[in-house]
Amino acid sequence: MKNTSILVSAFLILTSYSSFCAPKAGKAAAPSPIKMELKNFEALDFPYDKGETGLLKWDHTEELNDASFSVMISTISEKEGWIEADTFKAGEKTADKVNLPFWAFKKDKNKYAVPVELNNVLSSEIKQDVPFFAKVKIIKGKNSFESQTASAAARGNWFRADRLNNLLLFLFVSIVFFIIVSHAKKKSLFIRRIAGLDAIDEAIGRATEMGKPIFYVPGIGVMSQISTIASTFVLGEVAKKVAQYDSYIKVPHYDPIVMTVSKEIVKQAYTEAERPDSYKEDINVFISHDQFSYAANVDGMISREKPAACFYIGYFMAESLLLAEVGASIGAIQIAGTDVDHQLPFFFTACDYPLLGEELYAAGAYLSKEPMLVSALKVQDFGKLVFMISVALFSLLLIIGSKMNWQGLSSTLTEILKVY
Amino acid sequence: MKLFKKNIPLAIVLVFGLVSLASYYVPNRMSEDYLEVMNAWENIVSAFGFFLGLISLFYAHYMKIRKKADGWGYSLFVYIGFLMMVIPAIISHGKQLNPDASLTWLGWAFRYLYNPLSATMFSILAFYIISTAYRSFRIKSLQAFVLFVAAFVLILGRIPVGQMIWDWALGFTKVTAGEAIDWIIGVPSTAGKRGIMIGVAIGAVVTSLKIIFGIERQYMGKD
Repeated sequence: MKNTSILVSAFLILTSYSSFCAPKAGKAAAPSPIKMELKNFEALDFPYDKGETGLLKWDHTEELNDASFSVMISTISEKEGWIEADTFKAGEKTADKVNLPFWAFKKDKNKYAVPVELNNVLSSEIKQDVPFFAKVKIIKGKNSFESQTASAAARGNWFRADRLNNLLLFLFVSIVFFIIVSHAKKKSLFIRRIAGLDAIDEAIGRATEMGKPIFYVPGIGVMSQISTIASTFVLGEVAKKVAQYDSYIKVPHYDPIVMTVSKEIVKQAYTEAERPDSYKEDINVFISHDQFSYAANVDGMISREKPAACFYIGYFMAESLLLAEVGASIGAIQIAGTDVDHQLPFFFTACDYPLLGEELYAAGAYLSKEPMLVSALKVQDFGKLVFMISVALFSLLLIIGSKMNWQGLSSTLTEILKVY
Repeated sequence: MKLFKKNIPLAIVLVFGLVSLASYYVPNRMSEDYLEVMNAWENIVSAFGFFLGLISLFYAHYMKIRKKADGWGYSLFVYIGFLMMVIPAIISHGKQLNPDASLTWLGWAFRYLYNPLSATMFSILAFYIISTAYRSFRIKSLQAFVLFVAAFVLILGRIPVGQMIWDWALGFTKVTAGEAIDWIIGVPSTAGKRGIMIGVAIGAVVTSLKIIFGIERQYMGKD
């Protein structure tokens, strides 16, 4: 009995003590923070790159709402050398926002996918197959938690699957190209007329009658540019006609390599025209490798020598109008072609016969009239037809997708047409 | 002879053309290193090419002076200009001209001789734009009329008094000059430009294929 009373009194003392120590009503104790973790956190190699980017992935869970993340990277060990690579809020940088198409990357808005450019973060070039460590600091309110550490190695990949749309288009154009070229061997193809190129005979004939020179300006491109290569094709045909008419051509150059190639082409053209004796070394002359020095010199030559015809065919920038306007002021017939779209208006307004965009590439083939080369013109026209139909079809589908609010259709079509 | 003049060059073009093409689809470091090596080779060849260019330039002007051709006096300035840039560069040995070490002799020549001349040439463009605009504004056809109207709207929208004229004449349309300009640049102009760019891209692909597969080989002389 005595023992029982002792136990009861001890219980009462303890309960009264605990009630004394308990916080007052209305001031409940703050619950200790629940440890947050990232679900399925993993480090991976970023696909389709040369091996300098890592990819961190983890699932989005409800408890991560309103949190923000700080991505930490290290290459030394799991415990030291951490560098902050990125910070962002919940909802940002989900897998559906990665700049890769749907066929190359699984788009999932319930998963975070954070690419980390290791070289930029670590300020030293990362070696292939050297592992990097990654962890994420989750900040929610005043609390922050660190995720477990994940590791991966960045590797150079062998195929850019994101450029598959580009590759398929290229293969399609190539197949059409080979079919039409092989067809051209068997029978001749009808080719539309290009006014600018038909006028070349007229221009050279006029120069011959007037006893004045012809200027052929290949622009300020270098030999690795397609417009300059196309220009040399045209030069060959123009030089052959000049040799046949026994007229005189002058080719001022901006680039010495282009000059060397052009010399061979003009010499060959004179030989083909059976007038090798008429060829002179000073037909091709190097002027300057500076844009405005070149323009000033060619303008001076045009003003002094007053050619009857001027050809501006190749790559041109601001000097296009400087040259064409001086040529127009002396009354020369002017034929111009460039693939630089913002210089075309200057040629349209200042020249008699401008070549429209891709006609520049077709010019050499058109003038040579060789079936194999002329077939390329057909490919270009066919390509344009395919593009016109595609643009109309995709535009229609995009409009329908937008009106019907089919987000999936719109984003799929946009990704198919996008350049990666 | 045909082997050296035709077959080997064509094989080189084919191999390097295909490898360069493939490097666009292969992101590996090896492909990037290949492109860097190619660029380095291009620079080396270009550097040697400059000697050829210089010889051609001096020879052409020497012949002009020797023959006393029309305008031979201008040819003298080629040599004078060349020496004005080269001599300061040689005698200064890269040493700075002034105590604060901000300029060499070559830098001085570049800044106070070359740059003003270059800027003068560029500024002439403004006057040429006016003369060419005058010529293209002469309405001779329907296309020229459309061009004139579009250009006129753009000019009106870009100057303050133009906005006032627009409001007075076309204010009832509730369309501002700025909106009209945005529409012209954003819709018909961009559509035309993109059409040209698509054509250029296809032409570039076809020309590249012609060169890579040896169908077009005029650049290396014919057989």
